[in-house]
Amino acid sequence: MQLIKDTVALAMEAFSSLGASVYSARALSSRTNEFNAEGGKFSLFRTTLDSGLTLQAIKDKKRGVVSGNSFEEQAVRLAVADCLAAAEAGQEDPAWDMADTGGGRFEEGPYEADMDQLFSRTRELLSDISREYPRVMVEQLVVSHVQADSLYENSKGVRYTKKSGWYQLSLMFSGHEGGKSSSFNGAGFLTASLAEPFLALGNLRQLLADAQNQVHTTPAPGKGEGVVVFTPECLGGILYELLGNYVADSVLIDGTSQWKDQLGRQVADPALTLRLAPLDPRIVNGEKYTEEGYLSSDYTLIEQGVLKGFMLSDYAARKTGYDRAPNASAALVVEPGDKALQEIIAGIPKGLLVGRYSGGAAGANGEFSGVAKNAFMIENGQVTHAVSETMIAGNLAGMLKRLVGISRETVADGSSVLPWLAVDGITITGQ
Amino acid sequence: MISDIAGKLRGQFAPGAHSELRAQRSLSRRVTLLQGNLTRNARTDSQGVSARVYQGGVYGFASQAELSEAAARRALATATDNARFLDGHTGYQMGALPDIAAGAMAPQEDFTDLPQKHYLDFLRPLDDYIAGKYPDLASRTLVAYADSMEKQLITSDGYSAHLLAPRSYIYLFLNAQTGDGMPVEVFKVFGGSGTFDLQFKAPEDLYAQVDQLYEHLMKKREGVFAQAGKKTVILHGELAGMLAHEAVGHTVEADLVLGGSVAGPMLDEMVASPLVSMTDFAHTAFGQEAPLPVYVDDEGVLAQDAELIRNGRLTGYMVNRELGRHFSMRPQGNARAFAFNDEPLIRMRNTAVHPGLDKFEDMIASVEDGYYLISSNNGQADTTGEFMFGISLGYEIKNGRLGRAIFDTTISGVAFDMLKTVDRVSDRVSWSSSGFCGKKQLMPVGLGGPDLRCDVMIGGK
Repeated sequence: MQLIKDTVALAMEAFSSLGASVYSARALSSRTNEFNAEGGKFSLFRTTLDSGLTLQAIKDKKRGVVSGNSFEEQAVRLAVADCLAAAEAGQEDPAWDMADTGGGRFEEGPYEADMDQLFSRTRELLSDISREYPRVMVEQLVVSHVQADSLYENSKGVRYTKKSGWYQLSLMFSGHEGGKSSSFNGAGFLTASLAEPFLALGNLRQLLADAQNQVHTTPAPGKGEGVVVFTPECLGGILYELLGNYVADSVLIDGTSQWKDQLGRQVADPALTLRLAPLDPRIVNGEKYTEEGYLSSDYTLIEQGVLKGFMLSDYAARKTGYDRAPNASAALVVEPGDKALQEIIAGIPKGLLVGRYSGGAAGANGEFSGVAKNAFMIENGQVTHAVSETMIAGNLAGMLKRLVGISRETVADGSSVLPWLAVDGITITGQ
Repeated sequence: MISDIAGKLRGQFAPGAHSELRAQRSLSRRVTLLQGNLTRNARTDSQGVSARVYQGGVYGFASQAELSEAAARRALATATDNARFLDGHTGYQMGALPDIAAGAMAPQEDFTDLPQKHYLDFLRPLDDYIAGKYPDLASRTLVAYADSMEKQLITSDGYSAHLLAPRSYIYLFLNAQTGDGMPVEVFKVFGGSGTFDLQFKAPEDLYAQVDQLYEHLMKKREGVFAQAGKKTVILHGELAGMLAHEAVGHTVEADLVLGGSVAGPMLDEMVASPLVSMTDFAHTAFGQEAPLPVYVDDEGVLAQDAELIRNGRLTGYMVNRELGRHFSMRPQGNARAFAFNDEPLIRMRNTAVHPGLDKFEDMIASVEDGYYLISSNNGQADTTGEFMFGISLGYEIKNGRLGRAIFDTTISGVAFDMLKTVDRVSDRVSWSSSGFCGKKQLMPVGLGGPDLRCDVMIGGK
């Protein structure tokens, strides 16, 4: 922490001595210890010592940003000069500013790594999968501990420090039997504790069991509309795509968002409540302050289907006249519904249970189409067989108004907390 | 250029353990004009050293975010300790890696790091041209982007090299609204390897291509939804390249073969039409420098082309040194690392379908009812070979003629089934190189190919 304090102090002094008036410096250092396994066997033990310095200057309402990773005095001074030069070359825009309130000190998670325990848990996971899911092949496993320190300071007197540690796991796997294989699937988790076996994280057991049952597939029959149940692992990507299309900076600045006039209006089924909640206790190492220097707090973006705000930075808020979002994180929390997943499936005459979606970026109109991966057919209220070569298509905004179920169960993976979500009116195209 | 840091430590390698030491500096510069607003004006500079040591069948790796001899020593010591730790805890007892050719490649030519003002001064008049000529646009976004990797590599038993690889691009996005208010977008990427000032001489040079893109947008504004189902299509070379990379290339990366990819049991089998040949080119393709040339990889292997498919038959995988031994294949320079703190992984370089003999115009004329698919906004594939590409620009083909533009859609198929339906291959090749491949790390890659006539599933209404 002392090195990043010295580096930020040096950068602030350099900005001041060059006559800058509004500026900020953010330094971070981290140590990552990581085990890798390929094809089910250990392959690599990696240790990285990383650092980063992000500088921002606003001069005559013109902004420049420079980032680098050297803390050496000459490099820091050069970066500061480069940042001011970038600002001077920029374009006047009164919307650029920095936070003038806030500040804090934060500590969370296991700062020191227990490498022997991390290795044991990793070996145990490979062994558990091999024993309990013999038809699953682990294509890649990456398990690590990250220790991070960061410090933000700006010329308006706002200062934050953060000291944190966490474990993370990323797994890619597929099912195999008789020379055939399932589509690959992946799982990722952040956790603050090694107390439980990795196999107990999130929904991992179900994902591995599903992979074994996805080896033998048939395409969905024909083409028609049906219900799609997105698993929590799949839902996150769909929701991020949706939010990028309707409530993010760029689409509100350029005016292409179809929700730009929907504030306070019903944009989704009343059953849907969606929050951005980095301070939720189920989120690991959540955002404490934004890159613009504001203290982060949780907020509700959609409450009982009503759009309550946009995911806007301070800059975009000034450009558009809407409010700045209280945090800049991607910590999605969707409130659970009142039905069990099995009850929801039991009410579906024809549809798909989709574990992964592989699709092109939705156009500005929200129309999406892509392949339903790691998916099962639902027929007459029952999950019947795994499908392949099956496409789904719909409209991102439109589907939120055609919810037919949100599960009572949720999955917390350390980055988000999401339920299963069932949507009607999706075009399903098989063979 | 970075000074000779790694070379001084050659004598510090542990005897008998294959070792690599790499000093690296990566730069990126980005300027974004969104509706004329400078929303991004950023420069990044990342540098450091890393070491990797092989022992008993496992690797130890370590990096330090500092370009100094002392940091290199620390990285090498930690990598050696990590290799010992993992070797001691696993006991795989694998022997040394097979020998490879050793040598030294002379440093490549240095390049000029342009100030941020250069990118802004180029982009502004281009933005003014678009805003002035096309006031009916709903929005426009222009991005100037340049990045570079400089690597100094020494290895215990392979090639040493000092490599520099700059590339520069302009991304242009144009938006309009249909008659009923639905937004539509088209985009185009200009540029390639080399510094920004060499790639882009004057904004006026791009005006004609901007005008063409606007014409596509106006047609897309009047577009229709594609009809879902299996269709005969002409894939533009850009999409053929994406197919080569995503749907075939990844399945023949040896680490994914080891993980159970569909290509594993297909070596020496017919996997495509006899009209289809495919190669991962190292630095020279079809008589010209490839878009992103690789001369030595990050394991110190002198780069050569990796033939993947010859006349429809699967002929090889892409390997690193370790999996080359496993599969009894010669490493050809596919082990690449993105940042200084990344270990080398099996990656593609410039992956392309070879051109054929057909004329593009004849291929369009040969389709009674299908689509001409021109550009994509993303693509993904599975280790089963099942792929998906987002289509951002395409046209109907009716009775051998191009028809109405189509709205964004998606195509999908199973690569080794779809490639068997290829029955025409054009004599022209298109390359793209502006994106990154993602596989634990990012990596710049080139991809290319000719126009292909084939059958695919298309999503839509």
